[in-house]
Amino acid sequence: MTALLEVDGVSRSFGPVPALRNASLTVERNSITALIGPNGSGKTTMFNVITGYLRADSGRIRFDGHDVTAARPAALCRRGLSRTFQQARVFEQLTVEENLVIAGGFSLAQLFGRRVNRRDRHRAAELIDEFHLGDVADLPASGLSYGQRKLLEFAAVLMSSPTLVLLDEPTAGVNPVLMETMEHHIRRLHSTGITFLVVEHDMTFVMRLCDPVVVLDQGREIFTGSPDAVRENPAVLDAYLGA
Amino acid sequence: MRAGPLRAAVFFVVLAALPGFGLAHWLLTMLVFTLMFAVMSSAWNLLGGFAGYPSLGHVAFFGIGAYAVVLWFQHHDITTGYEPFLLLPLIGLGAVLVGLPIGAIAMRTRADVFAIVTITLLFVGQTLAFNLRDLTGGAQGASVVPAPFPADGYEIPFYDVLLVLLAVSMGLTWATMRSKVGLSLAAVRADEEKAAGIGVRVQTVKLLAFCVSVGLTAMVGAVWAYYEGFIYPQFAFDPLISVAMVLMTFLGGRATLWGPVLGAFILELAQQYFAYSLGASQFYLIAYALVFLVVILLMPRGILPSIQDRRWRRGRRRIVDARPPAAGHLP
Repeated sequence: MTALLEVDGVSRSFGPVPALRNASLTVERNSITALIGPNGSGKTTMFNVITGYLRADSGRIRFDGHDVTAARPAALCRRGLSRTFQQARVFEQLTVEENLVIAGGFSLAQLFGRRVNRRDRHRAAELIDEFHLGDVADLPASGLSYGQRKLLEFAAVLMSSPTLVLLDEPTAGVNPVLMETMEHHIRRLHSTGITFLVVEHDMTFVMRLCDPVVVLDQGREIFTGSPDAVRENPAVLDAYLGA
Repeated sequence: MRAGPLRAAVFFVVLAALPGFGLAHWLLTMLVFTLMFAVMSSAWNLLGGFAGYPSLGHVAFFGIGAYAVVLWFQHHDITTGYEPFLLLPLIGLGAVLVGLPIGAIAMRTRADVFAIVTITLLFVGQTLAFNLRDLTGGAQGASVVPAPFPADGYEIPFYDVLLVLLAVSMGLTWATMRSKVGLSLAAVRADEEKAAGIGVRVQTVKLLAFCVSVGLTAMVGAVWAYYEGFIYPQFAFDPLISVAMVLMTFLGGRATLWGPVLGAFILELAQQYFAYSLGASQFYLIAYALVFLVVILLMPRGILPSIQDRRWRRGRRRIVDARPPAAGHLP
């Protein structure tokens, strides 16, 4: 069987500055793949290119056997590829429950139906429960703490029943307890068959959770392997520590 | 009956009954203009409030509606006086058809850029009205036959029609808020890129809001032209009308059902009152601006959202105060 996601020789520049230079990576089905690298190595650009928020200048991307190089974010979302953002992006004026409902997607006819109907409520209730958002379900998301926003965005991503979830720094700026909660959720969802690609700076988190680890440096991948192999690879150490 | 529908019922029954009390002409005229602005602010709110696209060019559609009614009745007769009112749905539809491609192009921009792009609509409209002399009469203006209504209560049919338009506009707003259209518009307003990314039908709901909004505005323009009887390009495409819609909506509260209507009643009545009491001097415009400044300084988000906020915070404090301290925590 082919890999779930294949990024093949992708380049992307911003003006004269190359962010990705002929970078490739693969994400195998039902893995938790990490994407690491020093600041400015192109991790977030890679995420944006994969999810259709940015166009690649060259190269190809295949998801679940389809060429999705030029696909828009919405089309990818329908195919089962969803993401979170580094700075959690939630809809502030909407309540927590509404944030979940709108992420579930609906048809043109449903557009004119009730804002939140019983079926929506039922679908959202499970996630509200799992993510312990019951106390704030009816509050506008603008009142949530940073950590709660991260949880809400994560929960909302699951509303579209994705097969691959891209998490952009899920633990950045959150407290240790919440970090454990995140890890717990990722493991639990992984066990139900969801594949993850995670950008993360916290190395202990990556080493505990992810396999394999892809290392990016100056816009291209320099190493792919198990956490242990990454730790001992001279090229990786060089990229992080400098020669 | 719940509080919301009850409030609406009382509001409309009182307004519908008002002319029955034999109000003076000047008072009825004031109310006609207040209703005009209430409908337009309410319509503007669908786009500027709910979708977060602050159009400054809505008066272009007001002008289109005004000239549509004038031009049509240069070739058709008015006998009962109600013909122009029956034409309103058609004028609204025409404005929607004109607005569709304009909206599709203008809404490729956002926020301040969108506001500036839409300003050009107003000048395009005004320039066309000035220069297509064979059609519009240019600077000479154009007229429509006066309505054959009895002098005593001449304003009442206009008043009633505007009241119906207000009910339609507020009804559509209410339906929007309760449906997934409103949910989608709120997502567009908060973060359009993300909304599009998760599959919200961004383009559909944006265009829907734009079309309904300009359609209603054009209908008000048509009623205005018929009421005035004689129109000139600089008044049919008056930038101050666009500005008034925006100010009224901001004053009462964007993206609320009652905010724009409240804003229109306060600002339009205040303007008329000051114009009357401060006489021929231009001081009334300063007084009008002062009303707006004072309210916005005290309630920056508009009257209704500020009141709701205050009430919500008080309610929350009550809940927090009543909650027993959690075990293991110091009180």
